[in-house]
Amino acid sequence: MSRKKSGIWSFFSSVQLAIVLLSLIAFFALVGTIVPQREAAVELGARIWPGLFSFLQKIQIFDLYHSVWFFLLMVLLSVNLIICSLDRFPLAWRRFRTQPSPWSEEVWKNISPNDKFQTKADLQQAADKAERLFKKKYRTGIRGDASGGIYLCARKGRFSLFGVYLVHLSILILIAGALIGSFFDMEAFVNITEGETAEAVFMRGGERMELPFSVRCDKFTLEFYENGAPKIFQSDLTFLKEGRPVHAGELRVNHPVEFEGFRFYQASYGAAPGGKATLAISRPGVRPEVMNVAAGYTFDLPGGKGTFEVLKVEQNLMNMGPGLRLVVRSGKREEVFFVFRHIDQIKEMNPGIIEQVPMFNPGLFRPYTFSLMGLEEKYFTGLQVRKDPGTPVLAFAAVLLVGGLMLILLTYTRSVWVRLKSKDDGVEVAVAGRSYTNKAGLEKELKYLLAELKDNLERSA
Amino acid sequence: MINTTILGWVTFIYFAAFVFYLFRMVLAREFWGGVAAWIARAGLVAHTAGLIIRWKTSYDLGIGHAPMSNFYESLVFFAWTIAFLYLLMEWRLKNRSIGVFVMPIAFLIMAYASIAPGINQRIEPLIPALQSNWLTSHVLTCFMGYAAFTVAFALGIMFLARSVAGIFVRVLPTEYQMDELMYSSAVLGFIFLTLGIVTGSVWAHYAWGSYWSWDPKETWSLITWIVYAVMLHARLVRGWRGKRMAWMSIIGFGCVLFTYLGVNLLPSLHSYMV
Repeated sequence: MSRKKSGIWSFFSSVQLAIVLLSLIAFFALVGTIVPQREAAVELGARIWPGLFSFLQKIQIFDLYHSVWFFLLMVLLSVNLIICSLDRFPLAWRRFRTQPSPWSEEVWKNISPNDKFQTKADLQQAADKAERLFKKKYRTGIRGDASGGIYLCARKGRFSLFGVYLVHLSILILIAGALIGSFFDMEAFVNITEGETAEAVFMRGGERMELPFSVRCDKFTLEFYENGAPKIFQSDLTFLKEGRPVHAGELRVNHPVEFEGFRFYQASYGAAPGGKATLAISRPGVRPEVMNVAAGYTFDLPGGKGTFEVLKVEQNLMNMGPGLRLVVRSGKREEVFFVFRHIDQIKEMNPGIIEQVPMFNPGLFRPYTFSLMGLEEKYFTGLQVRKDPGTPVLAFAAVLLVGGLMLILLTYTRSVWVRLKSKDDGVEVAVAGRSYTNKAGLEKELKYLLAELKDNLERSA
Repeated sequence: MINTTILGWVTFIYFAAFVFYLFRMVLAREFWGGVAAWIARAGLVAHTAGLIIRWKTSYDLGIGHAPMSNFYESLVFFAWTIAFLYLLMEWRLKNRSIGVFVMPIAFLIMAYASIAPGINQRIEPLIPALQSNWLTSHVLTCFMGYAAFTVAFALGIMFLARSVAGIFVRVLPTEYQMDELMYSSAVLGFIFLTLGIVTGSVWAHYAWGSYWSWDPKETWSLITWIVYAVMLHARLVRGWRGKRMAWMSIIGFGCVLFTYLGVNLLPSLHSYMV
């Protein structure tokens, strides 16, 4: 090559460097899967010597994928990719532009006897047939008649030359997209109880961030299969601007909802305080009275001789099914006890429990007996909120990467020649080819081409 | 269930195919190769039928999904892709010598799926995290990649066995042929692995809100990708051939295995594969 290259240039354009860098990245990635990262590292900190831990923390062992080291490797890899692509591209461009010449003498040196055959035919007719076949196979084809014979040549797959640059470019864009993401992405969380509205979300560190709109969770649906595995987690969301609903969406796992650039994901759920329960309160000789109650509220006892306060309403209180805890007050008397929906079964399975644990007795406050008729639980939905401007960049890079790989690995650039020469009283047909990358594929193709030519010329001869 | 019974039988059919491929190599008679190839094809047909029946059964149970959603199904599918890819290669190349190295791998995977304790063979409904159209394309591309790497690995072992022991030289392909095949398999695997990582990334974007979260399985798939990227660069640019490529395909396969099985030892978001 004519251009003189400095040491730094040739260092950064070398494939050895790329191999070393890729190996280092792989090694770092491997270490990161063995050494606990981020939150998980805290536990390790409790077990090893604090001085060592803080040293390891300082050199960012516990956040390898976001460390200076990893960043540095990415920068070096990017420089390596850019320089090596710049270094090699002119050659690829020249190869792309250069048309093979039908009169190339050099390709006919050292062809093996397997690359030719002899047939009885007229030279011109044979050449016409060969040209037709050739054009059908390669779409283009240059014919050259010379004194030594008739030559055909064609080139195929020349865009494959650019595949490697597409791949390198796509990796650069991937790194760029990841960088954009690491600087500008936002990840936050918010829990919304059914029926309530959120105006702000919370970052990992706990900082509050106002949203330019508000989100209401209208309903949270939880369904299970017969075997107990979860089937559906779904939040029905409504987005409001200035108090007016502008957009609604059903949010499920795998089906995020997007609004004004923010993506909402179903991340978790839980029981929210404020579930409603239906209580029946009975006294001997009086018709039972049915009331709707909720935790945190105080109600009058039927008959007006005291009050009761609901302390807790739970779908699965102490693992014994729906239940609530309440305190009944009347004058100086005060009793705290549980009311379970399935008290009969509980009594059946634990004989004598009421006598042993009076708090299980729903009739503890005589003469009243409480029974829980039904319970309507309230849920909160846990939403993950994200914004990552790097995502479309990455999607573009991924398409480029796959396209580039296919260009390199499934196609290849080759030039193919055919020579027809009068010999004895027939024609000698020979094939030759050149490929920069895939000699084995070329050999196979030439063998096939020769067989096809032979078939074509001899069948109609 | 009928599908697991069929798939259990497939295990034995693959073993029989392996035995006859072995006869072919030891006795150097192509007749045994023909027998082995037909047995292997019958095995693949039964395997395919088993998978289709399992797929249909899941719809009859009202929880329809492609049979690739738990560890048992993934093992069975992995073995299927290996057998499929191998038989495709055998048919295209008109060469049966790789079978003796590939079929035992398919057999071992099927045997593991059928008899290992703690592997749940039941058809399970999809949990919300797996209810995605990306499940099929992600699993399909990943396992096609794994299968191609498995074939490359088998060729690598073959290559080293040939050069170390020099046995059965007559019935094995030439070093040049094996090297070319190893390269082609690695290329195919690399493309599928890339597609697998890309589809996984898109899926993660929808499911977890993040296209890449350095989950151990993701990280190990990247490590695997880099190992094969180094292998392909070393060959295309540095001209590595033969023994070095054989070693690279063995190292790469080690990474594939760790990506598939080893990461279950580490805490992972992909934990539903166990």
